[in-house]
Amino acid sequence: MKKRVLAVLLTGALAVSLLAGCGGGAGDTTTGETGDAPAAEQGSGDETEAPAEGGEGSDTITFGQAADPRSLDPAFADDGESTKINTNIYEGLVRYSDTTTEIQPSLAESWEVSDDGLTYTFHLRQGVKFHDGTDFNAEAVKINFDRQLPGNATEDMPYAGFVFAAVTEVTAEDDYTVVIKLSEAQTPFLANLAMIQGSPIVSPAALEANDNNVTNSPCGTGPYKFVSWDTNQSVVLERFEDYWGEPAKTKNLIFRIIPDNSARVIALNNGEVDVIDGIDAMVVDQISQSGNNVQTDEAMMTNYMAFNTTEGVCKDVEVRRALVQALNVPEMVQTLYQGYDQPATTFLPSSLPGYDSTIAPPAYDPEAAQKVLADKGVTSLHIITYSVARPYNTVGGQKLAEAVQGYLSKVGVECTIDAYDWTTFKEKAQTDTYDLLFAGWGGDNGDPDNFLNLLATDDISMNYSHFSSDEYKKLIADGLVTPVGDERSAIYTECEKIIADQVPILPISHANFMCGVSPRVNGFFYHVAQATKFANVTKN
Amino acid sequence: MGKYIIKRLLMLIPVLLGVSIIVFVITHVFSPDPAPVVLGQHATEESMEAWREANGLNGSVVSQYIDYLGGVFRGDLGNSYYTKQPVAKELSSRFPATIELAVVSVILAAVFGILIGVVSAVKKNSIWDSGGRILSLVGVSIPIFWLGVIMIIVFSGTLHWLPSGGQIDPLLKPKSVTGFNLLDCIITGNTAGLADSLKHMVMPAMALSMYSLAIITRITRTSMLDSMKQDYVRTARAKGISEGKVLTRHVLRTSMNPVVTVIGLQFGSMLGGAVLTERVFAWPGIGSYIVECVQKSDFPVIQGAVLLTATIFVLVNLAVDIIYTFLDPRIKLGKKEG
Repeated sequence: MKKRVLAVLLTGALAVSLLAGCGGGAGDTTTGETGDAPAAEQGSGDETEAPAEGGEGSDTITFGQAADPRSLDPAFADDGESTKINTNIYEGLVRYSDTTTEIQPSLAESWEVSDDGLTYTFHLRQGVKFHDGTDFNAEAVKINFDRQLPGNATEDMPYAGFVFAAVTEVTAEDDYTVVIKLSEAQTPFLANLAMIQGSPIVSPAALEANDNNVTNSPCGTGPYKFVSWDTNQSVVLERFEDYWGEPAKTKNLIFRIIPDNSARVIALNNGEVDVIDGIDAMVVDQISQSGNNVQTDEAMMTNYMAFNTTEGVCKDVEVRRALVQALNVPEMVQTLYQGYDQPATTFLPSSLPGYDSTIAPPAYDPEAAQKVLADKGVTSLHIITYSVARPYNTVGGQKLAEAVQGYLSKVGVECTIDAYDWTTFKEKAQTDTYDLLFAGWGGDNGDPDNFLNLLATDDISMNYSHFSSDEYKKLIADGLVTPVGDERSAIYTECEKIIADQVPILPISHANFMCGVSPRVNGFFYHVAQATKFANVTKN
Repeated sequence: MGKYIIKRLLMLIPVLLGVSIIVFVITHVFSPDPAPVVLGQHATEESMEAWREANGLNGSVVSQYIDYLGGVFRGDLGNSYYTKQPVAKELSSRFPATIELAVVSVILAAVFGILIGVVSAVKKNSIWDSGGRILSLVGVSIPIFWLGVIMIIVFSGTLHWLPSGGQIDPLLKPKSVTGFNLLDCIITGNTAGLADSLKHMVMPAMALSMYSLAIITRITRTSMLDSMKQDYVRTARAKGISEGKVLTRHVLRTSMNPVVTVIGLQFGSMLGGAVLTERVFAWPGIGSYIVECVQKSDFPVIQGAVLLTATIFVLVNLAVDIIYTFLDPRIKLGKKEG
C-alpha cells in the first residue's frame, strides 16, 4: 500500500516538475508581449525591448551571417564576412557606384593620373571626422597606405601586395592633397583603392592605440561606428551622427553569427534577423512560404573547370574541345543551381568591361565529341575537386564533378573523382596530377585583369590549367597599362576569344548572391564587390 | 586523501603529454599546410613562406613540438593564426558560455534522469517503467544535431516561442563582469537580458541534456533495482522502517555511486564543448569555436582547446572520485582495501 502511495507521489512529483520545467521555460519565453505572436511581430517584440523604437520604422536591422568576420581592420581582412561589416564602418578614397564597379569619389573628391600612369594625385574631402572624433586628412591616408607598403606590410595583410605592391611613395603634399607614386603603370590601381579590403582608411589615432591593428576596435569614417563584437555571436554597430554625408537611416545595425544554414533560415522566418545570406536553392521555398523574400543580386564570381594543358590527354586542344562539346553546361547549371546561377560562357562575369556575350566555347554536341574522343583514345580521366560548398558553387565541387562525370560517361569517358576538403584541395592542386580540376574565382576589384590574369601567371596555385600562351600574356601585359576605356575593354575581349578557342578552362556558371530578406526591409542590395551597405536601408 | 589528490594531479602530466603529442601529430603531420587557407586567395609562394617562417612551421615536427611544449610550460599556448590573440585568451572568452550551458544541462539531466530512473525502478515493469525505458532509449539513440534542428523548426520556426539560436539579444547584452552571461545579467540587474538569456538557453540545454538524461535514467534504474535486492534492504524492511525511508536512505543513497560517475563524465564531456549542440544553436562556446578553427586550420587554437578539454576531463573524474568517499564511507581514496 505504502509503495503505491509513494509511487503516486513520485509520479506526481515528476509530472509537476516536468510541467514546472516546461512552464518555467514557457514563462521565460513569453516575457513581454511576444508570446504566440506571428513571426513578423515577434521580431518587433524583441526589439521593442531595445531603447527608442520609432513610431514608424524600426531602429534596428539585424543581418544573419554564417561566420565571424576575420578582422574588422580592413588591412587584415580578406573574407566576405568581414567585408559585409567593414563596408559600413570604413570608406576609401574612392568607391564603387551602387550598381556597378564604376569608380566614384568618396573620401577623395577628385583625382588626377599622370600621363605615364605613374603618379596619382588625390584631392581629399574636407571636414570628415573619424568615429573617434579625430580629423581625416592627407596624413591619415599616408599612415594607412604606408603600413601596407612593401617592406612594412606583414604577411598577414592579405591585400597589401595586391593593392600596394607597385606603390613606391605616398606623400601628403598639404593637409588635403595626397600624391601616390607607382613603380609601374597599373590601370586597376584606382579600382583597387575602391575595394573594402586593404584600401579603406582607418583612424591613425586608433592604429597607434592598438599596435597598428584595429581588428577588435575598428574606427573609420563610415556611416556606422563600432559598438561591440562578441566573438561567435554578434557585431553591433551604431549610426555615426557626425558622418560627413547623409547619416544612416537606421540607428542600430547588428550582424549575428549563425553558422548552421537551416538555423539561419529559421531565424529569418522567426523574425529574429531581417536579412540572411549564404543560402542556396534548397531553402528558397522555406523562405518564401514564410512570407519573406528571396533576393538574388549579381555577384562577381565564376565557377569553372580547368583542363591540365601541360600533362595527360588534355594537353591536346582537340581533346579539350571535344570534352567541352560533351557537356551541356546550361542544363547542368539549371539542374545543380535550379536557375539561381547563370550558365557561363566566358570567364568574365557580365558586369565587367570586356565581357562579350557573343563569345562562347564549343557548343554541346555529344556525337561529335564521342567521335573525337574515340579517335584520340580517351577513355578515362582523373578529376580533382573540393568537397565543400564555395561562394561560387553552392552545391560543392563534388556534385559538380559528378554531373560532369555523368555527361562524360555518355561519350565513353570514365572519370575518377578525388574530392578533398578545401585545405587539402589547395595542396593537391599543386602536388597531384590531374586531367580536370574544379575551381572558382571571386572578383576583387571589378577589373577584368583581376580575372583574366589568372591564366597568364606561372603560379600553378592560381593558374590551375597551367596555361601558357605568349599571345595571351602579351594582351594581359598591355591591358595592365592601357587606360580604362574601349581600347582596354577590347584587349580583354580578345583574351576571352583565346580562352574560348584554346579552352584551358571551361566557364560553368556565374553565381549570384542569394539573400533571404524580410518584407519589412527596404532598400537592401548586395553589391557585386560583396558589399552590403546599410546606410540607406530601412525597416518598417 | 591529500596525497591521493596530489598523485592524481601529477597523473595529469603524462595524460596531457600524450594528448598534446597526438593532436600535434594530427595537425602538423596529417593535416595539409594551413598557409594557403590562412592567407587566402592572393597567397603567393613568398608570402606563404614568410608566414610559415613567422609562425614557426618551417622546422622539423620534433623541434616544432619541443618549442610548443616549452611555450606550454611557460603558460603560453601560442597565438591564433587569425586573430593573433593568445590562445588562452581566445578560449577563456568562450569558456563561460560553455560552462553555463553545461551546468544547466547537467542539472536538468541529473534531476529528471534520477527522478525517472527512481520511478522506473520502484514501479518496475509498470507502464511508468516502460515509458521511462522508452524515453531513455530514444534519448540515447537520437542524434543531437537532428533533435536540435527539429526543436528549432518546431519551437522557433512553427510556434515562434523561442529564439532559434545565440545566447542573448546583442542589444540586451550586459556589461561583462564575470564573463558569465546569466550571472552578469543578475549582477547588473538587467532583467530583460536575463529573461532573454533564459529564453535562449531553453532549447540548447534541453537538447544537450537529452543524452545524459537518458543514460542517467538507465543507470539509476539498474542500480536501484540492484540495491533493492540487497540483504540490508530486506533487513531494513523487516525492522519495520517505512518504505519511503527504505527507498531514500537505504536504496537510493547506495545506488548513487555509478550515477554520480556518469553525471561526472557527462559533465566533463559537456565542458569540453558540446560541438554539435553549440553549432546548431549558434551558442558561442568552445565547441562551436573548435569546429570553426578546424575548418580554418587554426592549429594553435585546436591544440589549446584539446589540452583544455583533456584537463577538464581528468579534473572532473577526480572530483567524482572524491564525491564517492562521501556517498560511500567504505571507500577510502588512496588506500588499498583489505
